[in-house]
Amino acid sequence: MARRPSVRTPASASDDTLRLAPGTSGGAARRETVMTVAIEYLQFVLAPQMLNGLTIGVAVVLVALGLSIIFGLLDVVNMAHGEFYALGAFISMSLYSLGVSFWLALVLVPPIVIPIGFLIERGLIQRVYQHDQRHVLTLLLTVGLSIIMEDAFDLIYGPNTMRPENPLPGSTEFLGVILPNYRLFLLAVGVATILATWLVIYRTRLGAMIRAAAFDKHMTASLGVPVLRVYAGTFAFGVALAGFAGVLLAPIYSVFPTMGHDFVLLAFTAVIVGGIGSFYGAVIAGLLLAQIQAISSLYIPPYWSDPLLFAIMVAVLVVRPQGLFNWMGKG
Amino acid sequence: MHPANTVVSPAAPAPARRRLGVQHLVIAFPVLSLTFASIGAVLGETFYLRLATEALILAGLALSVDILLGYTGLLSLGQALYFGLGAYTAAYLLGQGAVGFWGALLSSLALATPVALLAGLVAIRSKGVYFILITFGLAQVAAKTIYNTRELGGSDGLVGVPVLQADFGLFRVDLGSPVEFFLLMLALIMGLYLGLNYLMHTPFGRTLVAIRSNEHRVRFLGFDPWRYKLAAYAVAANVAALSGAMYPMLRGFVSPELLYFKMSADAVITVIFGGVGTLIGPIYGSVALVGLRTVLGSWTEHYHMIIGALFMLAVIFMPRGIAGLFERKESGPAQDEAERT
Repeated sequence: MARRPSVRTPASASDDTLRLAPGTSGGAARRETVMTVAIEYLQFVLAPQMLNGLTIGVAVVLVALGLSIIFGLLDVVNMAHGEFYALGAFISMSLYSLGVSFWLALVLVPPIVIPIGFLIERGLIQRVYQHDQRHVLTLLLTVGLSIIMEDAFDLIYGPNTMRPENPLPGSTEFLGVILPNYRLFLLAVGVATILATWLVIYRTRLGAMIRAAAFDKHMTASLGVPVLRVYAGTFAFGVALAGFAGVLLAPIYSVFPTMGHDFVLLAFTAVIVGGIGSFYGAVIAGLLLAQIQAISSLYIPPYWSDPLLFAIMVAVLVVRPQGLFNWMGKG
Repeated sequence: MHPANTVVSPAAPAPARRRLGVQHLVIAFPVLSLTFASIGAVLGETFYLRLATEALILAGLALSVDILLGYTGLLSLGQALYFGLGAYTAAYLLGQGAVGFWGALLSSLALATPVALLAGLVAIRSKGVYFILITFGLAQVAAKTIYNTRELGGSDGLVGVPVLQADFGLFRVDLGSPVEFFLLMLALIMGLYLGLNYLMHTPFGRTLVAIRSNEHRVRFLGFDPWRYKLAAYAVAANVAALSGAMYPMLRGFVSPELLYFKMSADAVITVIFGGVGTLIGPIYGSVALVGLRTVLGSWTEHYHMIIGALFMLAVIFMPRGIAGLFERKESGPAQDEAERT
């Protein structure tokens, strides 16, 4: 079930190069060989792997940001967030089968996911806001939602794994490092989206409303901000970010009904480590954790990376139970 | 901040209508179960008896969630961890032929307690949402680790658990017989219910309920909520492990699915369906859910969707569950709601 970043080939390649090294003998020659091996290791193993980590990290940040913003404003832990990530990927698959190109799908999916998220927030989650156990009840609602969505994917698209075509095949060589084009594209789009999100939240009137509502919703409402609509809009925006990440990652990972589960665990870990409800926390922790995962999988079997990340999360929580960064309502 | 209880609080109960109390549910359960068992025994039925036994085993897991959610106010989304831990311990030791019935139960408890204390140290230190997410993550990580451990059967799990005889001194229970296993499990679950119900009425249990209502005030009264929560967490883990240990004896195998999120989520769904904070409610909830799943499952393989939808409806419209329908004004901790901060 676990689908990890594709790391197996570079790891085994590195074993070969390292094993060859001691075979060549002679003083200066050996030093040179060691240098070459080190550079080759950097060039063919470490650098591509770090790029992998960076692309995954950017995607994780997109998903984690959505989670974090939704929690920061609405106080809702969205357990269905991974399913919205999957929703984005599945909608893109449907669009492809209608003959829509990848580029158009990338633009179309967020506007499709946003109204879905808006309606779900208004129709379901807002119903239990007034309840004194709203933390638990909203979380349970999203658990129910995730069960329904996952089963719906299975019903509509079938349990099999699908893989869309890579829209940008080929690779670019930069400083001797071979970089797959699509990953570079993903990186650029992801970073642009993160920056745009930052701009919206910290530099626009809408963002000011969101932060004000997170800080004190009664006060904000009394100043004339339609708080409930801001809530629904923020939820929709957060899940659309996840859906967008789903479209972006579909050509790298594959598309299957339970794809949300695995990925969202990483996003949850990033959000916890960074501090729930913190923008910067989600970005930094997401990039960092994905990098740790990518590099560590060179040295340990990939399935140990989850326990490793979890151990890091626990260690952070022991030192700082509130996560590394502050909640955005404060900042 | 909010006017509390706008959704939950039942409109003032109609004074004329006499309602059944929760205690009637407690008496009704063994009576109904024994009737069911005798009908099953007469007809020589195995499938439904075994299914009912499984429902009782899962009821144990639900009880464990209810102790945390209904009494202590802690939502665990990873209680399947301890269920799976108990199941794997029992299956492994029984498969090796190292222990008998009692040995399997005791060793799963002996393993669950330290694990729970250790995990609880981290999970309970971090509050609210963090607790939920840590329990969730812990179970996911444990499931993945088992999935990738060849010694524990990997993705196939452990098979070939022998059929046991449970020795009670005066008599023996043959776990190969569906009726006997069902009766044993019924006794175990009712025993667990009575024991936990007693525990929740001791000063310890009362303190847990107080923590659920208002943790700050409990601290001002001179109690250390942390210790009580940790103890509740350990108790809950043991209850889950004990029921988990029964699972391989019934089904003859264990698999990593026992630790998956679905298992934990099902337990929470069971508790919500049955009635949070009632202990008896989740037992009914488990029977109802297993029954529902079997009926729906015979129609369509996509029954999860229907259960998920029912669950969401229950959360919105009936957050007190089945037992809530039978509740009188003063019973159960589900009633005394103070605004939680």
